[in-house]
Amino acid sequence: MFHWLEKNPFFFAVGVFLVIAYAGLITILPDFMNSARPVVGTKPYTVLQLAGRHAYIKDSCNACHSQLIRPFKSETDRYGMYSLSGEYAYDRPFLWGSKRTGPDLMRVGNYRTTDWLENHMLDPASVVPGSIMPKYGHMFNNKANIETAYAEAVTVKKVFNVPYDEKDMPKLGSFEEAQKLALEEAKEIVDNMKNPTVKEAYAKGEIKEIVALIAYLNSLK
Amino acid sequence: MDMESIRELQAYGYAFASVFFALIFYGYIYHLYTSKKKGGKDYEKYAKMALDDSLESSPIEKVEPTKKDKEEQ
Amino acid sequence: MQSSSMINYDYSVAKLFAFATIILGIVGMLIGVLIAFQMAYPELNNLAGEYGTFGRLRPLHTDSVIFGFLVSGIFSTWYYVGQRVLKVSMAESPFLMALGKIHFVLYLLVVAAVVVSLLLGITTSKEYAEFEWPIDIGIVVIWVMWGMSIFGLIGIRREKTLYISVWYYIATFLGVAMLYLFNNMEVPTYFASGGYGDWWHSVSMYAGTNDAMVQWWYGHNAVAFVFTVPIIAMIYYFLPKESGQPIFSYKLSLLSFWGLMFVYLWAGGHHLLYSTVPDWVQTMGSIFSIVLILPSWGSAINMLLTMKGEWQQLKENPLIKFMVLASTFYMFSTLEGPIQAIKSVNALAHFTDWIPGHVHDGTLGWVGFMIIAALLHMTPRMFKKELYSKKLMESQFWIQTTGIVLYFSSMWIAGITQGMMWRATDQYGNLAYSFIDTVNVLHPYYTIRGVGGLLYLAGFIMFAYNFYKTITAGRVIEEEPRSASPMAA
Repeated sequence: MFHWLEKNPFFFAVGVFLVIAYAGLITILPDFMNSARPVVGTKPYTVLQLAGRHAYIKDSCNACHSQLIRPFKSETDRYGMYSLSGEYAYDRPFLWGSKRTGPDLMRVGNYRTTDWLENHMLDPASVVPGSIMPKYGHMFNNKANIETAYAEAVTVKKVFNVPYDEKDMPKLGSFEEAQKLALEEAKEIVDNMKNPTVKEAYAKGEIKEIVALIAYLNSLK
Repeated sequence: MDMESIRELQAYGYAFASVFFALIFYGYIYHLYTSKKKGGKDYEKYAKMALDDSLESSPIEKVEPTKKDKEEQ
Repeated sequence: MQSSSMINYDYSVAKLFAFATIILGIVGMLIGVLIAFQMAYPELNNLAGEYGTFGRLRPLHTDSVIFGFLVSGIFSTWYYVGQRVLKVSMAESPFLMALGKIHFVLYLLVVAAVVVSLLLGITTSKEYAEFEWPIDIGIVVIWVMWGMSIFGLIGIRREKTLYISVWYYIATFLGVAMLYLFNNMEVPTYFASGGYGDWWHSVSMYAGTNDAMVQWWYGHNAVAFVFTVPIIAMIYYFLPKESGQPIFSYKLSLLSFWGLMFVYLWAGGHHLLYSTVPDWVQTMGSIFSIVLILPSWGSAINMLLTMKGEWQQLKENPLIKFMVLASTFYMFSTLEGPIQAIKSVNALAHFTDWIPGHVHDGTLGWVGFMIIAALLHMTPRMFKKELYSKKLMESQFWIQTTGIVLYFSSMWIAGITQGMMWRATDQYGNLAYSFIDTVNVLHPYYTIRGVGGLLYLAGFIMFAYNFYKTITAGRVIEEEPRSASPMAA
């Protein structure tokens, strides 16, 4: 029987496939439904926050910052309450990261302000002497991609039943409405910022990447 | 079906499949190491495939020509 | 189909992929050295505006070495080894020849698309699966073509039984196909939303913890099926062939194959210890990582014992040096990995530089050295030339080995230092260090690591030069050598 397998490439391949697929079937599938349940109070991201999340992904912030607080005293002292599975229910993709070149950002919104983040993104070493984080000045010039963020929100609402437009949940509406909402939400952040380019652009109805990014980081609590 | 019975089925399925795979694996080991004594294969001869691999050298076990090939010849 | 002396093995596709291996290797390692120095000297982030920051270059580094250097190395050796152990030439099938060439051209197109898109910041953020859906489709097409080439060649083989290397190539093909497809399930937002936003953007089908589980099931096993399985395929062919010694125990190689296939896939959970993934998945991940030592060492010991009684070759032949060191590093990193997967060790090591340190002893020592040795073995046979310089290979070996030692030793110290500082408390139980303290202390280690990477790159460029000179200026050889590769002093 064994030797037959070694001479029949097709059945050999089927055998290999079964053996390697077994572990995945056992470990991943059964908990799928369970892990996806949101913790009470968790809300999906607004369009502006989602655009900020895209900026975060675009520059691979997750290559150096984790978003996963492990249940150790040294971590909860430093970053706050440890992470719960349901808190990530609306994170597509997950951004846990695998390396902490910089600190964890899971609850950064609790202890950093718009003003601090603005200065830090422009020149990290000016706020944290000795920081090795790159300067992200280009985020002050690039336009936030509100349209793609809107497309993503609509997609997850349609395909995965993410509760947008429900009671106490972020509103989407039509693209025009969503744009208006994003501008309103951005106002508070822009008011707290100093950068003239960002302010001028906002006056013309344009949102820069940095504004969306700060909206996203402020929402991480 | 509720979560608990899924879990239970999963546990049984897992235990059964693991024992099954382990048995096949030990059977395979037994087969490999007794095959030569029983007059079957000597598995070590296949190691020569890497050393003697020019196109002209004759294969250790030839692929049997299919019926169609035979007709063509 | 009668074998005639007129037909020879046809290496045209193997040659094309060999060039790709070397060029993409230089590109990927160069970016690696740059980002290593960026961590020591952050001003280096400002060289090319937004396109030169660590964030943009890091995925480009990992993807160009994995999917550029490594995967083209796998393809190149397959198109070489496959023909030889199946005793059939690609020239016998015009279809397979054409397929191989189209495979190469498409591969280059996808590589170009990956480079451009990652520099522009178009990424899904999932490690080693950063590509957006249009590129994913391209990758699937390339992979299917490779599969057709494998099974096509097997279909017309003369040798009935498949050699162990072919087993490993088949497993690579199947494993990566399964993992890649499931991890990259995504919905294109442009089409689902009715025409809003960028057309290439997509959103993952899995959310949060599930996404993490699928990703690390992929992330860990991509390592298995790209960094381990095909490299074992290579060493099981090239080490016996170069040394003229048959594999120590062919039976052991078959056993380790099934053992590895079964155990490896369970170990992905060790990337998620102490996370929100169910406890039993974490425990499984930990246990199976340790069980994994058995089949890994089964292969590694088998390779080392193949040299039994022939150890003088280690002194005479630099190719044997590369391969023996590669299997030693394989043993080393397959021991280090399970140690890091023990829960209490992981609590310290996770998120620190010890992890990139571990990855690099595997990739630089095991994978890099094996591919270099394979290409050096193939070159005289593909181009019918004597290797240009033995001295150059000897010095390349020592320069690169020094580079690897600097790399992993500095990252060990850096990782453990950082892990200890994160958890250190003062006498009142408060955290002793702010985060930035733990960054500043690493500066010397980051510099040493950068130097280690630079040495490895220098050695690789010497290899590329040797390769180039062999083709252009090597002495022509009449007859193919049976074992040891011919080389000029």
